[in-house]
Parts: sequence; C-alpha cells; structure tokens
Amino acid sequence: MKKILGILITLIVLYILTTIIGDNFLSPYNQEQLLKRTALYGLLAIGVSFVIITGGIDLSIGSVVCLVGCGVPWLVTQHQWSPTMAVMMAFVIAVAIGLWHGFLITKVKLQPFVVTLCGLLMYRGATRGFAEDKTQGFGTGYSELRELATGKLQITEQFGIPMPFLLLIGVGVLAWILLNKTIWGRYLFALGNNEEAARLSGINTDRMVTLSYVISSVLAALGGLLFILDGNSAQPSDFGNFYELYAIAAAVLGGCSLRGGSGTVVGVIIGAAVMQVLKNMINLADWLKSHMEFLIVGGVLLVAVVADELVKRRVKK
Amino acid sequence: MKKILALTIGLGALAFSSCGKKDDEKKTYALVPPSVSNFWEICRKGGADAAEELGADFEFVTPESITDQKVKIEDLLSKGVDGIAMAPGDPANQTGFINEAAGRVSLVTVDTDAPDSDRKVFIGIDNYEAGWLAGDLVKEAAPQGGEVVIFIGNISQLNSRQRRQGLIDNLVDREKDPSRYDAPGQIVKGGKFTVLDTMLDGVDSPKAKANAADAITKYENLAVMVGLFDYNAGQILEELKQANKVGKIQVVSFDEHSNTLAGIKDGSIYGTVVQNPYEYGYQAIKVLHALNNGDKSMNPENGIIEIPARIIRKDGVEEFEKDLNAKLGK
Repeated sequence: MKKILGILITLIVLYILTTIIGDNFLSPYNQEQLLKRTALYGLLAIGVSFVIITGGIDLSIGSVVCLVGCGVPWLVTQHQWSPTMAVMMAFVIAVAIGLWHGFLITKVKLQPFVVTLCGLLMYRGATRGFAEDKTQGFGTGYSELRELATGKLQITEQFGIPMPFLLLIGVGVLAWILLNKTIWGRYLFALGNNEEAARLSGINTDRMVTLSYVISSVLAALGGLLFILDGNSAQPSDFGNFYELYAIAAAVLGGCSLRGGSGTVVGVIIGAAVMQVLKNMINLADWLKSHMEFLIVGGVLLVAVVADELVKRRVKK
Repeated sequence: MKKILALTIGLGALAFSSCGKKDDEKKTYALVPPSVSNFWEICRKGGADAAEELGADFEFVTPESITDQKVKIEDLLSKGVDGIAMAPGDPANQTGFINEAAGRVSLVTVDTDAPDSDRKVFIGIDNYEAGWLAGDLVKEAAPQGGEVVIFIGNISQLNSRQRRQGLIDNLVDREKDPSRYDAPGQIVKGGKFTVLDTMLDGVDSPKAKANAADAITKYENLAVMVGLFDYNAGQILEELKQANKVGKIQVVSFDEHSNTLAGIKDGSIYGTVVQNPYEYGYQAIKVLHALNNGDKSMNPENGIIEIPARIIRKDGVEEFEKDLNAKLGK
C-alpha cells in the first residue's frame, strides 16, 4: 500500500478535479470509456513492467501492437484465415519475438535498449511491408470476434464493465500471483536488484530475463489485438506509435524503477488509469486545448513522479 | 485497486441521474478532422462563423491518428455535444463506430464520406471529378506530355484514392470510372502521359519533402510533379528550388495552402484545384443545427451536398487569396 500511495492520491485528485472542471465526466458512458482505455494501455504497462523489474527495457511494444493490430485483420480479411487461427498466429509470433529478444540480450549480450529499438523499427517496417501501407480493419463484419473488445458486462441498464477491463483484471491477478506468490517472481526482483548476486546464488538469470521479454511481447500482442478489435482501423504507419512510451510511463508512475528491482501490478494499473483520466480531462474541459495534450500530460506526469518520490522518502523516514 | 473500482462504479452510479446532454439551451457543435492541416483551419473558420450566426457553441478537436479520432469523438459524446461533423479517416472500417455515434447525436460527414453509415448528410466534393480537374491542369502545364509522379498523404481514405484515380484516368485518356484502382507502384501509360509512381507520406510534411527529393533524383525526365494533399506542392517546390529545377519540372497542386498560392503567384506552381473548406465547415454546422430543429429543408434527398471544386491559375490567384483572407479575417 505504501508503495502505491503516491499514485493513488494522484488518481483520486485527478478524478475529483475532472469531476469539477469537465462536463459529464461521471456519466456511465464516459466511465466505460475510461475503464476500457485503462485496460488497453494497462495490459501493455503490465507487460513492460516485468521487463523493467528485471532492469531491462522494451521499446518494441508499440510496433508489436502495430504488427498484431494490422496483421490479424490482414490475415482474416485478405487471406481468409479463420479468426482463431489468425489470433493464435499473432501470439505465436509474439512469443517468438520475446524469445528472440531474450536470446539477443542474454546470449549475444546486447543491451536491451538496442535490441528492442531495432525491434521497434523492424516490426513496424515489416507490417508496412506486408500490409502495403494500407489501412487494415474488419469492415462491418466479425462482430462476434470484436465482442472481445467491444462487449460489456452489464451492471445496470446504462453502465457495463467493458470486456477489456475484465481481461485486465484477469491478467493483473495472474501477474500479481506470478510476481508475489511464486519463486519466479522472487527471482525476477532479485535479478533486477543485483543480477550478478542472483546468478551467483544459482538463479538461471538468462531464463528469467527471457521470460520477462516473452511476457512483455505477449501482452503487447494482446493489447494490439484489443486495440484493433475496438477501434477497427489500423494504419501501419502510425498504429501503436509511442505506445511503448505510454506503457513505460504508466509503469514508472506505478512505482517501477527503471533501475530494476521494484514495481507492483496494482500501481502499474493505477499508473495507466492516471494517464487516461488526464487525457480525458483535457478533452472534457472546455478551456483546456486538446492540441496542448502532450504538454499537459508530460507536465502532470513529471509532477506526479516528483510527488511520488517525496511521499516515498517521507514514508521511509 | 478494488477501492478504485468501487469508487469508479459508485461515482458512475451517482451520475446516472445527471448523465446525457447538457440542459443548456445553447447548442454545441463539434468539427473533427482526421488530421491537422491548413485546410482544416479554413474549415474550422467556416464552422465557427456558422455557429456564431446560430448562437451556438463550436468546438474543433484535432486527433493525432485515426485511432485517436475515435477517442476524441467518444469524449465529445461524453461531454454531451449536440452534433458532430466529422471527416472519417477510414470510412470503411469506421462505419460501425460512426453508426454508434450517429445513434447518439446528429452526425454529418465533411470532405470524406462514409456512404454506408447512418450519417445524415455528406458535405464535400466529388473527389474523382476534382482529380479529373487536376488532370486538366497537368495537360495545360505540359501540353507536350511526359512523365508524371504523384505525391499524396495516403490512399486509405476514399477521397484521396478517388482524387488520385480521377487524375490518372484523365492523364492517360481513359473513360471516367471512379471505381477503377491502379496500385501506387504501377506504371500507367496512355496518350501523351506516363504516371511513373505515387509516393505516400502518411501526412508527414518532412517525409513529403524527402519523397519529392527522391523522385527528382530517381526520375531524370520528369515533366510534372503533382501534389494532391495541401502541403505536397509546397514541399515539392522546396526541393525543386534546392535542385535548381524550378520551371524545368512543372508543379500542379491541390487545395489552397499559402505556399501553393505564393508559388502560383511567382509562376513556380502552374495552378491548383481548390475545394471550399470554409463552405464545408459553414454548411456542416448549419445542417446539424437544422437537423436538431427537425428542419429537413437542408437535407437533400440523396444525402449529399456537393460544393464544387474550382481551378485557380496565375490570373485568378490574387482575387482568390483576397476572398480567402477576408473569410479568415486576416
């Protein structure tokens, strides 16, 4: 609880602030959108937080989102694959990408930044190549498949919990168990704190590092799938652009240190929610200009990180 | 996390009674383009002027991408606007979403249509015909014929695809057929002209400039370079200046970017085909207001309000610019 106090306060303050200055912020429709967006970005953020906990970084997330987001509709609509096969293919490729990153980082001893930066360029390039830069989507069909992202668990007549949020909760619980209740989780933290010490104490660090990249790529693929099922339109040149940075920002806001060794799943999800509430606030408040979005998001993130740091220091004392 | 969820749902439940549109008598209309450009700034002015005449509020929101366009519109729906005029970035795939939005508020499309959606009215030009007009300009600029390269932001939008096709079909002397499609890398020959390539820049000006440079390097015998998005001709001209080829290669433009108008004045750009973005914005807001008041008089039977394109050459550019500046209040 102490670890996530700062970010939780930030979220609550933003919530109250937006209720005051935004129009209809609390309407069921808007809350549904917020839950959905938090889920989509939250999945990416949970993925990258595994990598960050081990002291690594994954810059390829946005491009994996693009690869899957464009690739699945491409396979389904232009190559007549069944949706199940296309989705399975997406996850097979995501696992392969994670293994490949892990191999290059642990065996070839390349830096994670470089490996995943090359991934960022390559997967987008590959997508633009096979999709011929054409916008991909499911048109008006495949509404059953799209339920995965557009469906809701109806609570009242006007409010339902969006399907992606239920998925986020599921993934969040699994991630929490993995990190906190299994020996692997302890290894991941140990690795992030001191890789050398972890290795000397007999942990197969290479395998753990590789595992973290596989998790990151697989959750990026899941995110990419949900993004395209929800939005139904992906341009290979810009789909998922900068999403790795949103994911990293949410992870850092949620208490992950880029030096490795710390982070909580709940914090990361709240971090993702903060980003989305902030963007929503800018759109809902009349006097905030939406083209200044990045300035405001960047500024508030900085304030939140500083505040979090101060709160943590105080708690330590 | 549980607390947050509980808080969210709790607060959401509290708001059930107050949800929906604002109760104010003053209506709010929004215009949502697919991207940011000079063209949309002019459109915005038209929308703002119409809203002022109607005593309504006007909002102009600029998405970063097609994905973001959906987010921006969802937020407008949350906010409770009374009508939305949008230019869908990807009509075929956005149809479902457009229907969802059109089910909540009055919705019209401008510039790019989504013909299969529930949008009430489309306000714009026939892009195939407008592209055809650009073809007429190319033929005037290079009566001897020759090699042509086309520069465009994307061809995923129906309007840009049709605009490009109208141009190509005119150049190679084909019969009119808006459903025809030539892939970008394909060389199309016919009559006096050869269309060598179509270079896409993803609505990214620096990329558009680099494309122009690459084309000048790659194709030595270019007769005409045609820029089909508003910033393209300006970027082409910059590269021609740096390569000392102004006047040797003709430039034909689309839309009324200030660089284009300056180029036409000094003769470095032959001419441009202009739409009327001011009128798009103006009509869109007027139509939305009429729809909300149950007034169907502005709602044509086929659902399309066509605002024709025009050709601007050196002789007409001064007058055109004067009128444009007057509208923009410059």
